[in-house]
Amino acid sequence: MRQNKSWMMLLAVLLSFSLLLGACSTNGGAKETGAPAESGTGGGNAGKDETVELSWYTIGTPQKDVNRVMEEVSKYTAEKIGVTIKMTQIDWGDYTQKMQIATSSGTPMDMMFTASWAFDYVQNARKGAFYEIDDLLKEQGKGIVETLDPAFLEGSKVDGHNYGIPAKKELPALEVWRFNKTLLDKYSLSMDGIYTLESIEPLLKTIKENEPDITPFAITKDYMPVLPYDYLISNLPMVVSLDKGDYKVVNVLETPELKAALDTMHSYYKKGYISPEAATTNGLDDTQKSGKWFLDRAATTPFADNLWSSSYGYPVVSTPASESMIFNWSVMGSMQAISANSEHPEKAMEFLNLLNTDPVLRNMIDSGIENVHYKKTADNAMENLDDSKNYDMPTFSLGNVTLTYLNPGDPENKWDEYKVFNEAGKVAPTLGFNFDTTSVTTELASIQNVKGEFWSALMTGTVDPNEYLPKAIEKFKAAGLEKVIAEAQAQLDAWKAANPK
Amino acid sequence: MFDKLKIFLRDIFRNRAMLLMVLPGALWFLLFSYLPMAGTIISFKQYRYSKDGFFASIIDSKWVGLDNFKFLFSTSDAYIITRNTVLYNAAFIILGLILAVAMAIILVELTNRRLSKFFQTAMFMPYFLSWVIVGYFVFSFLSFDKGLINKTFEWMGMERINWYSEPSKWPFILVLVNLWKLVGYNSVVYLAAIMGIDRSLYEAAMIDGAGKWKQITNITIPLLVPVISIMTLLAVGKIFYADFGLFYQVPRDSGLLYSMTNVIDTYVFRGLKINGEIGMSTAAGLYQSFVGFLLVLLSNYIVRRKNKDNALF
Repeated sequence: MRQNKSWMMLLAVLLSFSLLLGACSTNGGAKETGAPAESGTGGGNAGKDETVELSWYTIGTPQKDVNRVMEEVSKYTAEKIGVTIKMTQIDWGDYTQKMQIATSSGTPMDMMFTASWAFDYVQNARKGAFYEIDDLLKEQGKGIVETLDPAFLEGSKVDGHNYGIPAKKELPALEVWRFNKTLLDKYSLSMDGIYTLESIEPLLKTIKENEPDITPFAITKDYMPVLPYDYLISNLPMVVSLDKGDYKVVNVLETPELKAALDTMHSYYKKGYISPEAATTNGLDDTQKSGKWFLDRAATTPFADNLWSSSYGYPVVSTPASESMIFNWSVMGSMQAISANSEHPEKAMEFLNLLNTDPVLRNMIDSGIENVHYKKTADNAMENLDDSKNYDMPTFSLGNVTLTYLNPGDPENKWDEYKVFNEAGKVAPTLGFNFDTTSVTTELASIQNVKGEFWSALMTGTVDPNEYLPKAIEKFKAAGLEKVIAEAQAQLDAWKAANPK
Repeated sequence: MFDKLKIFLRDIFRNRAMLLMVLPGALWFLLFSYLPMAGTIISFKQYRYSKDGFFASIIDSKWVGLDNFKFLFSTSDAYIITRNTVLYNAAFIILGLILAVAMAIILVELTNRRLSKFFQTAMFMPYFLSWVIVGYFVFSFLSFDKGLINKTFEWMGMERINWYSEPSKWPFILVLVNLWKLVGYNSVVYLAAIMGIDRSLYEAAMIDGAGKWKQITNITIPLLVPVISIMTLLAVGKIFYADFGLFYQVPRDSGLLYSMTNVIDTYVFRGLKINGEIGMSTAAGLYQSFVGFLLVLLSNYIVRRKNKDNALF
């Protein structure tokens, strides 16, 4: 009896270790199973080759039915281009970090989501995480090149090469003032003439005087005024003027435009239009849910008012607050890249090509299995079924959105409006230029800290710019901003010489 | 030679149960503490990905010497982050020790067992809360317009305070919050040590007419000194590591407080979260553990000179 027990214990320990080791080696194992079929993966004869499994990492809350849908997708793609798909979803908040670990430790994968705001595209392209796709785009990716606005591929070049395929979606960035329409109507206020930061004051004043419970101007710690400058790295003070055309890198804190905006913000703060806690507010979800706000600022897309209204449950209207501009970061809002360690880059490109050109595949990935997750109501329209809650994907992150079927309530001309919207965008002077920070990483680390210290407090108007702006400028200088600006200027000059407009 | 092996094997067999119990812990350390040490080489490299996997990446990356360490020292904040890290940790070690020992003694001396258990559990609970949640607790006290403290101030006719933009108040807040969270947990160790003290010592003291206070100062505390010195030595080794959650979540990352809340860990996080240079974050970790290692050696040396038995090694 006693001996039995100790044997059981030994067995349990052995078992747990074999599990541990097993878990460590699954990655290695997966690599082998996708038997290489590297030779002859041109376009036409692909279907006859042995099928290969492509692993695809995407952003978004993991969905219950992913594997079920991917099985269906694989049936379709196996027949068309000889690949099967294994999708791994990583939740929004974890994506950047988990992908950084996965790529730096060499986890085998074929395709992945990347963007300017999650798993930073430019940085990781430079670090060698992605496969360079210049040649693949000419061969397997022809369809993508044809369907995309050239600005997408031009703007997403890193040091002259393409590493990712931007999703066809809204191209420029357009900031708008959003109004809680209920309040707008209640006091019969009008959006006419609203554009600048100064122009909103009379409205804020009315709300402040009549609605003590409402935040007149709802902002978070990430708020920044609309300025005629392009940030070389988002939210760091190195900027280039949008309209002067001088290609001169300056410190945004030293520009008269910013000083004026900060003075206005501080006066709004003192008058109580802005929450006293704006500088530490991370999100406005609660305020938006309860409807206790009057005005805020957001980036828009065609028909965004409808989306906002339906998600908040009360009407929201908006009017432009900036010019429509095509920036590097707006072009890189959602991309798919091929992993540098992919064993089948050609196959991956074939798949991405199909994803961006084939409505059947694109809608399967987006909405799931027909008559299970959704049903078609017309040739280009669909309606979600109850099961769609088990397969609710972020449409914008999975390639060409203009192929997706219309949802109930979508206007018939939805994608035409996108086209109009995209064509209205002005190209920022630095589109295509990406600052290589390798030689100034030390300075950037201290600059980031100085930024954290002053940025939110200044931008939200919490502190008096007359006192804090000079302090901030001085501390940025001490942190080495001048060296960073000089380096950026040198790179920008070299880029301009190589890419004459 | 053969005999030695035989004795060795016999020893293993005799102690098999004990060794088996140690095995998971030993393996854990081997896998997660000793094996990764080889990775510190990354702190001297500009880490770039290679398509041939992790080890190829390490080998192929460019050797940059001490460049990765520069960002910790070349900044104007170097003094502030080092001062904050060391002073806060010193305060946590000293106050935490006094409070934890005091709590343990009080809990033992409480005659009502049930009450004593209740207090122990109540003090233990905060340890299991994540700093994010604690951060919101604190926020519910310190919020400018809805916080408990400001509401009380208002009610008493006093001026409201914008806590999240007043750095001078934060040393007290942070120390208080940290003690609230950790004292209950730390006192358990001392509680166990006190339980292990031979009861007959107290009985003898009582016969000699010693009161509670005399018993505590002459029996409990002297017998706790070995545990106290080991716990303190271990804490000193971590003096260059700041609790990231405490210093980032609780002050809500408010920039105006940085002069009092920026520590090495938050500085590294803020500085590297955009460019994600693995080499630089590894360098920061190596620097922290290297200084911690030296401090442990030093303080262990001092303890050993005073009393050999109380030292770690």
